[in-house]
Amino acid sequence: MTTLLTAAEQKKPNLWRRARHSFAVARHEPANLIGLVLAIFFAYLILAPVLSILVDSFIVQSGDEARTHQDEGSFTFYYIVRTLYSRISEILIWQPLYNTLAIAASTVVFSMSIGVVLAWLVNRTNMAGRAWFATALIVPFMLPTWTFALAWTTIFKNRTVGGQPGWLESLGITTSNSVAYGYFPIVFILVLHYTPLVILIVGNALRRLDSQMEDSARVLGAPSRTIAFSIVLPLIRPALMSAALLIFADCIGEFAVPYILGLPVRYDTLATGLYRALDTRQNGVAAVIAAVIMIIGVITLLIDVRMMKEARRFVTVGGKGNMDRLRKLGRMRLPASGFAGAFVLIGVVLPLLTLFLSTIMILPGRFTLDNFTLDYWIGSNLDTVALRNGILLTPEFWQAAWNTIVIVGSSSMISGVLGLLVGYAVLRCSFKGVGSFLRQITFLPYLVPGIAFAAAFLSLFAVARGPIPALYGTPLILIIALVAEKMPFASRSGIAAMTQLGKEPEEAARIAGANWFSRMGKIIIPIQAGPLATGILLPFISGIKGVSLFIILAIPSTDVLTTYSLRLLDYNYDQAANAVVLMIALIAWLGTVLIQKISGTGLAQGLEN
Amino acid sequence: MPAITLTNLTKCYDGNTEPSVDQVSLTVEDGEFMCLLGPSGCGKTTILRMIAGIEHSTSGEIAVDDLVVDSVHQSCFIPPEQRRIGFVFQNYALWPHMTVERNVDFGLRLQKVPAQERKERCLDVMSKLRILEYADRYPSQLSGGQQQRVALARMLAVNPGVLLLDEPLSNLDATLRLEMRAELRRLHQTFGTTIIFVSHDQWEAMTLANTIAVMNKGQLQQIGTPDEIYAEPSNRFVAEFIGNPKINLIKLKESNDKFINLASHILARQPESKFADVCAIRPEEIILTNTANINTLPMVIENIMPTGGSWVIELSFAEDRLFHSTQSRPKWREGDQVNAYLPTPSLHFFDHDEKRLVLSESHLDYSNLLPSSALPNKQNANQIHTNQSYAKQA
Ligand SMILES: Nc1ncnc2c1ncn2[C@@H]1O[C@H](COP(=O)(O)OP(=O)(O)OP(=O)(O)O)[C@@H](O)[C@H]1O
Ligand SMILES: [Mg+2]
Repeated sequence: MTTLLTAAEQKKPNLWRRARHSFAVARHEPANLIGLVLAIFFAYLILAPVLSILVDSFIVQSGDEARTHQDEGSFTFYYIVRTLYSRISEILIWQPLYNTLAIAASTVVFSMSIGVVLAWLVNRTNMAGRAWFATALIVPFMLPTWTFALAWTTIFKNRTVGGQPGWLESLGITTSNSVAYGYFPIVFILVLHYTPLVILIVGNALRRLDSQMEDSARVLGAPSRTIAFSIVLPLIRPALMSAALLIFADCIGEFAVPYILGLPVRYDTLATGLYRALDTRQNGVAAVIAAVIMIIGVITLLIDVRMMKEARRFVTVGGKGNMDRLRKLGRMRLPASGFAGAFVLIGVVLPLLTLFLSTIMILPGRFTLDNFTLDYWIGSNLDTVALRNGILLTPEFWQAAWNTIVIVGSSSMISGVLGLLVGYAVLRCSFKGVGSFLRQITFLPYLVPGIAFAAAFLSLFAVARGPIPALYGTPLILIIALVAEKMPFASRSGIAAMTQLGKEPEEAARIAGANWFSRMGKIIIPIQAGPLATGILLPFISGIKGVSLFIILAIPSTDVLTTYSLRLLDYNYDQAANAVVLMIALIAWLGTVLIQKISGTGLAQGLEN
Repeated sequence: MPAITLTNLTKCYDGNTEPSVDQVSLTVEDGEFMCLLGPSGCGKTTILRMIAGIEHSTSGEIAVDDLVVDSVHQSCFIPPEQRRIGFVFQNYALWPHMTVERNVDFGLRLQKVPAQERKERCLDVMSKLRILEYADRYPSQLSGGQQQRVALARMLAVNPGVLLLDEPLSNLDATLRLEMRAELRRLHQTFGTTIIFVSHDQWEAMTLANTIAVMNKGQLQQIGTPDEIYAEPSNRFVAEFIGNPKINLIKLKESNDKFINLASHILARQPESKFADVCAIRPEEIILTNTANINTLPMVIENIMPTGGSWVIELSFAEDRLFHSTQSRPKWREGDQVNAYLPTPSLHFFDHDEKRLVLSESHLDYSNLLPSSALPNKQNANQIHTNQSYAKQA
C-alpha cells in the first residue's frame, strides 16, 4: 500500500496525480464524452449560424462588389450604413421596426387586459359554464396564427389585391384598407392568439395563490379593491411579467400574419422586411435586420432574467391552492359568460367556420345552395389551370403532408432525444463548464426569432463549407434547423426531467453491474418515456404550425403543409389553401389530445415551460 | 482477510472548503457487521458512496479484498459496475417502471445467469425477505417497509461480497423498525455477508453491529465493539454521543498538578504529561445514598422522571446538573438532599484537547496518600463495591 508516502503528500496529493486520478474517474463516466460531443455539435449547429449572420453584416456579399467598390468577402460598413443611415433606411428598417414594436406592444396590452379578466373569471368566480370555458378559451392558442389571418382575408379582402374577392366585398360592402390589412387586423389576430397564453399563465398563478393571504387582509378590514390591488396583483406580478415578455418576444418574430395581412399594403415588420431582403438577394441588409431582431430578443430576455431574479425574492406563491373560494358574481354571472363566450365565438368558431365554408363555396360570399360544393376537397377534373383535383386527391398535398410528418416528426424526435441527453450530460458531467455551456447554448435559439434563425442557417449552410456539402434544397437543412429551433424547449424539459429523476436509479443500476447502454436502455429511457413522448409531441405540434423557418429554407420539392398552403395562396387557390390550413389545425388538435392522453398533466404545464 | 480497507481516505466536494471525509483509515474484516455512527452531515453517506464507487476520493485509498479500487496515488479507479458491492440507498431507489420481480432479477439478468437458475435464486431471496406475494406489483404499490425489503432483495440476489446499507431503517415506523432490525441480523447470519451500515441512531448501532465506527465532522473518532465504545470512549465527543441519558460531564476547576480534585475531593493522581480538564460518569454509575461520608458529594434532587420501568433523576451539584438513572423505584422526593458516590473506576477523564486520559492503577489508587481516617467507612465501602460490580455486569 501507500505507506511510503509522506504525511503531507497523503493529505494533499500533487496536481499531476490528482489530474490523472480525475481522468481515471472521468473515463468511466460516459456523460463526459456525451457532454463534449453535444457541446461541439451545438456550437456548430447554433452558435455558428448566429455568428455567421453577425459576420455577414460586415462582409461584402457576392454581387455587391460594384456597389461597395470592394472585393467579395472584404470587411465593410456598407450594409450597416445602408440599412441604418441611408435614404432608404426609413423603408428598410425604421418603419418596420416602428411597426413591429407597435404591433408587439399593442398585442401585449390588449391580450393582457382581456386575458387577466378571463383568467380571473375562469379561476376565481362562479361564472356559468366555467369548466367548459377553461378548455374552450385555450383553443385559439392551439391554432396556427395564420389560420385567423386567412379567415380574416376570406371575409375582409378588398380590391387592393387581385384574386377572389372577400365575402363582404361580394355582398356589396366595401372594406377600407385599414380594416382589411395592416396594423389593425394583425393586432386583432395576435391578441386572439395570445390571450389564451395569458389565461394559462395567470390562471396558474391565481390557482396557486394561497387564499389565506386574501383572508388575512379581509380580516384586517380591507375592501375587495384594496385586496385586489395590494395583495393579489403584486403576488401574481411575476406571472404577468413573464406572460407579457413571452408574448412580446413571440410577436417580434411573428412572420405569417404580417406576411398575409401586411404585405398587400406594404405594411412591413422586421420579420417580413427580412424576408423581402432575402427574397431580393440583399443578404447583407438581411443580416443587419436579423441582427437587430436578435438584439431585441436579447434585451427582452435580459429584462426577463432580471425580473425573475427580483421576483424570486418574494415569490411565495404556492400554498393550499385547493382552498380557493369562488367569488359570487350575482347578476353579472351571465354577462360574464357572455364575454367569455364572445371570445370563443370570435377566436374559435368564426375563423374555423369561415375557413370551412370558404372551402366548400365556389364564389366567395354567395350563400346560395348551388354555390356549395365539395369539389375543392374531393372533386376531380376541375376546370382550373393547375390544381385540377380536390385537395384530398392531389398528390402534392399528400407529398407535403408526408414531408411534414417526416421532416417535423424526425426533427422533433431528434430534439426530444437530444434534450434528454443534454439533461443527462448537464447533470452528470464532471466538468462544470461543459454543463453550463450546454445549458446556455441550447437556450440561445430562444433569443433568435425563427425567421432570423432561418436566415442564419441559409447563410451558413447554403454553400458547401469544409466537409459539409451545400444543404439548401434538401430536407436535411430543414430538419437541422428545426432541431436547433426546438432545442430551448427540448433541453429545458430534458434537464427538468433528469433533475426530477435524480441520480439514484442509475447509480443503483451501476451497482447492479449495468454498463452504460443497459443503464440508458433499461432504466433511464423507460422511466422517462412519458416526458420523452411529451417532449417529442409538443415540438411536433408547434413545428407543423411553423412558417418562418420553412418559408426561407424550403423549396417546392421539400414543401411542407404550411408552405404548400402559402404557395396555393400565392396562386389564388384560396379554397384549397384554406382546406390545407384546416388539415393542419386538425393535426395540431389531434396531437394535443394525444399529449393530454399520454402525460395526463394537461396542456397548461407543457406550454408554460 | 479484510474485506475493505480504507487508508487516509479524504473527500472534499467541489466548492466545499472543509473536507466531508477527513483522513479516515479503517479495516472491515470479512463477515463483519460494522456500523458507521455519527451525527447528521458527518460524512457517513459519503464514505459508503466512495466504497461503492459512485463517488471518487480526493486523496487516500480504498481497497476491496486487497485490490485497490480507488487511489489517487496510483491513479486508479474501478467503476461501481465492476466492484461487486451491494448498496441499499437511503430512499431505496427502486426502479419505478419494473415490477418487484424485475427489480430483483435485474442484476442476475445482467450477469447472464440462465433463466432457470435466475428464477430459483429470485424466489429464494424473495421468500427469505417475505416479499414473494408482491412479486408482480410495482414499487409505488408497496409500503415503505416492503420497498425496503425489495431494495435489500435486489442487492442480495446477486450475492455481493460486501453490502452497504445507508440508514436502512430510518424511514420506518417503530414496530417495523424493530422487526427489520431482527431481519437484518438474521440476514447477516444466513448469508454471512460483510455488512457496513450507516446510522445516526446509537441504539440501532449498539444492538446490530459487531463493530462501531463513530464519526464526527468527517473524522473517525473511535472504532471498537459496542462495549468498548460505551465503556472506554476515546474522547469527549464519543462519550457524549453514546449513551442515553447522556453522560454527565463535570468541569474540574480545583485540580492541581498532583491531584485531580472535585469539590475538594481527590479523585485520582494527576498524570505526568497531561492534565485532566473534565471528568465524566455514566448516569447509571452514580450511586445515591442517604449517608454522607468523605467520598460522597452532597446533591439536591431536582426532578424525577419515570421512563417506563426505569427512572431518570436530575441532580444539582453546585452549578452543575447531573443525571442519574436507576432501575429501582427511587425512595426520594424532589427537593430531597442526597449524597452521591462517584466510584473512581467508573470515572472518565478528558484533557484540554478532549482526549481520554488513560490512568493506570497507581494513579487511581491514591489511598496510600491519605490518612486512614479519610477512607470511607469499611462496611459502607464494601457495600458500594458490590453495587458497582453489579452495575458493571449489567
Ligand atoms: N454532492 C455534494 N456536494 C457538496 N457537499 C456535499 C455533497 N454531498 C454531501 N455534501 C456535504 O458533505 C457532508 C457530509 O455529507 P453526508 O451526506 O456524507 O452526511 P451524512 O453523515 O450521511 O448525514 P445524514 O446522516 O444527514 O445522512 C455534509 O456537510 C454535506 O453538506
Ligand atoms: Mg446520509
